[in-house]
Amino acid sequence: MPVPCATGCGRNASLKRPKTGDALCKECFFWAFETEIHFTITRGELFNRGDSVAVAASGGKDSTVLAHVLKTLNERYNYGLNLILLSIDEGITGYRDDSLETVMQNSADYVMPLKILSYKDLYGWTMDEIVAQIGRKNNCTFCGVFRRQALDRGAALLNVKCIATGHNADDIAETVLMNVLRGDIARLKRCTAISTGSEGTIPRVKPLKYSYEKEIVMYAHYKKLVYFSTECVFAPNAYRGHARALLKDLEKIRPTCIMDIIYSGETMSVKEEVTLPTQRTCSRCNFVSSQEVCKACVLLEGLNKGLPKLGIGKSSKAKRMLEEYNAKQNDSLQEAISEINDEFKKNNCISKGKVCKSNCKSKENKHSTTDLNTVDANTNSCEQVHSNEVTDDNKETKCCNKKQYCTNKKTNETNESNSKAEKLLAEYGIPESSDKPNSIEETNSSQDKVCEIDVSNSVDNEEFDVDLHTNDEVILKEEDNTCAGACGKVDSLHIGF
Amino acid sequence: MICRKCDAPATILIRKEYWYCNTCFITNTNHKFRACLGRSKTLSPNEKVLICLSDSTSSMVLLDLVQNSISLNGTKKLRVIPFFLHIIETATEDSIRTAKLIIEQCNKYNLDIYIVDINEYYSTNNILPDINVLPQTKSETLNNMRMNVSATIYDDVIVKIKRTLFLRIASELSCKIIFTAETTTQLAKRLLTNLAIGRGSQVENDIGFADQRDKSIKILRPMKDISNEEIEYFLKVKQISKIQNSSNTKIGLQSVVDNFVLDLQKNYPATVSTVCKTADKLGSAENTTETQNCTLCQSNITFKSSKLTAVEATIFSRQMCTNKAGVNDKIEVMQSITEDKNPMFPSIYKTLCYGCSRNFSELDSYL
Ligand SMILES: [Zn+2]
Ligand SMILES: [Zn+2]
Ligand SMILES: [Zn+2]
Ligand SMILES: [Zn+2]
Ligand SMILES: [Zn+2]
Repeated sequence: MPVPCATGCGRNASLKRPKTGDALCKECFFWAFETEIHFTITRGELFNRGDSVAVAASGGKDSTVLAHVLKTLNERYNYGLNLILLSIDEGITGYRDDSLETVMQNSADYVMPLKILSYKDLYGWTMDEIVAQIGRKNNCTFCGVFRRQALDRGAALLNVKCIATGHNADDIAETVLMNVLRGDIARLKRCTAISTGSEGTIPRVKPLKYSYEKEIVMYAHYKKLVYFSTECVFAPNAYRGHARALLKDLEKIRPTCIMDIIYSGETMSVKEEVTLPTQRTCSRCNFVSSQEVCKACVLLEGLNKGLPKLGIGKSSKAKRMLEEYNAKQNDSLQEAISEINDEFKKNNCISKGKVCKSNCKSKENKHSTTDLNTVDANTNSCEQVHSNEVTDDNKETKCCNKKQYCTNKKTNETNESNSKAEKLLAEYGIPESSDKPNSIEETNSSQDKVCEIDVSNSVDNEEFDVDLHTNDEVILKEEDNTCAGACGKVDSLHIGF
Repeated sequence: MICRKCDAPATILIRKEYWYCNTCFITNTNHKFRACLGRSKTLSPNEKVLICLSDSTSSMVLLDLVQNSISLNGTKKLRVIPFFLHIIETATEDSIRTAKLIIEQCNKYNLDIYIVDINEYYSTNNILPDINVLPQTKSETLNNMRMNVSATIYDDVIVKIKRTLFLRIASELSCKIIFTAETTTQLAKRLLTNLAIGRGSQVENDIGFADQRDKSIKILRPMKDISNEEIEYFLKVKQISKIQNSSNTKIGLQSVVDNFVLDLQKNYPATVSTVCKTADKLGSAENTTETQNCTLCQSNITFKSSKLTAVEATIFSRQMCTNKAGVNDKIEVMQSITEDKNPMFPSIYKTLCYGCSRNFSELDSYL
């Protein structure tokens, strides 16, 4: 039994919109989807006429749809924008080949200039070269830090007014939840902003802020857009993984919760008395940094001086290492390096700051008390690198070696993206299959200790020091240099929260 | 293992890290409770306090903690005049049994308690009943509502209704302070729920130590540093009977969040308190120069701002589904949408906050 399109256009509906539940025909869906983005761009004042805009392009679904819709709207409404696709090539053999091919295809299809910037262009080093320098142990740090800055550096080279990224509504809602779980107030405050950028930096805007991921996939599918499923093989950090799972479960029950969570983020603020880490710019490269010299510059300094481990720990430590290095200029370089590296090995427990400290403390008791990152066995977090174990260059440690950096899953990409779209169509295409009931079981927390002794209430010792159980409050704050923060997203140009 | 406080053999392990003997564990819990109240300095001597018990197990602990604190001597004594209240949410056998259990427990301590039916929300008279008696159920309104609206909205509305009743009864008893029994775990759940239903800006009052939305009566949460894990041990050690919660059969966002937090509590207990600590740092970004409060939950109402928010984006999406492709691409949100017969956000920016407005669109006949 065909369902008429809710707009009254006379055609039959071919899908149920995940966002509103309305049954629409394809044409009306395209129109609604595009016009909503036009609404976001216009009301959010994302661009000015004549602007050059870099569209962060990874070949993934979000950036492909973003590029397509921006081109469409730019022509339809005469925005007068000069759109340029910007891709980053990390220089990892084999990793970008397929996705860059997709981006080149997009560039040809949409007649949009494409600029591919390599890490070599941006930093003077490819990831492959970095790995060769530092071994396979610490490169997650490099991966994360360099990625975070790559778009900014690229955009600066292109001399554009702003960068448009493909963050969608689901990403933003997920990030709100994640930042609450991490207790990251500073990011919580920023993450729902439609455009971000402090003084002297190139702003980033999110035209897909109110677009549902499911609709993006359906749009790409019905429009037959070519995209590439870039699954970054880094497991998302534990917090993002949990936030994502929670959001998916919530969405099943109430699809509007994505917008509700965004609204929550938009209307909440940090109390005035709470001090946030200040954002400033790096004195060397002028990109955003919480330190005087940004992490990327410290890492580069290390690479260029043959001290690759510089900067993997705390910045104060990096400074000291650098001083020692300079003091030892007369000695043979090799000697200095091995000394510093030895020292690093001995002390690397403190390198991760608070997190690691409590990790080491709790090791004695054999139970972890810290945060998600350190405890989640399912996650390939990088904590191992910073753990107390002396890292032997030949010995494989659990975490980052297996998956040194983001190598692409060699799956058949068309199959993969199709299967995702097909799943959605099964649910939202019309005729629609009946909804499955969600069964969520009550889990009873079982108490393993039995307390049999009777205790009176009268205990009231003046000397008693109350335990508030908050001393292990270990939260990853601004200092977040591992891939845990950077590789959280499916699509590597997706960094920026 | 040895107790971290007194070297006696430990019997209880909290958060997989802290070992206690039974005695020190109970002492620590009592101290947490008093430390929380002490820090706030909101209580004046002989303050009348309405202590609100509920269907949750933590109520029994609150009762015990209060009883213990007021029966101490010297400087440690909690100098308050307590009044106890329990609200019956549904007229099921379970909740009658719970109410009886609570009366019994109060009587053990020689304390009196008021039991009030939640449907008194609709009554316009004074609602304070006689002490220690079960009320007669007069109305089925809220039960009908439960059958007819989504679990998410029902659960949220019940929290708001109970809050309103607490305030009414406190005012009838001329109490300026209310204690409620939320634990760290429950507050973490409420924080995530608040986010998920668009009440992010209300976190400070809904999750923090004090709800100060009412001008004359403050609601305090002195158990906010005590986790559900500790509640379980407390009841076990003190051999207090547990309340059997009748679980809601319909699944709303709250039950998804419940399960999520249960899992966190079990595997990452530190994260649960992180979530609660976050609440202490959050306020509202709303324009508060010209304050107006939501008629249902007393939160500040956001005024329509020039900034684009999810409200406009949502209304615009609805608008796009009623227009033919290519016909309408006006980017204004039509004013009429908000005033339409079946608006997405009834009375938003006027008398209701975002969350209550969303609720109201489903259940205006019950409020
Ligand atoms: Zn149509
Ligand atoms: Zn720099
Ligand atoms: Zn790693
Ligand atoms: Zn002890
Ligand atoms: Zn309200």
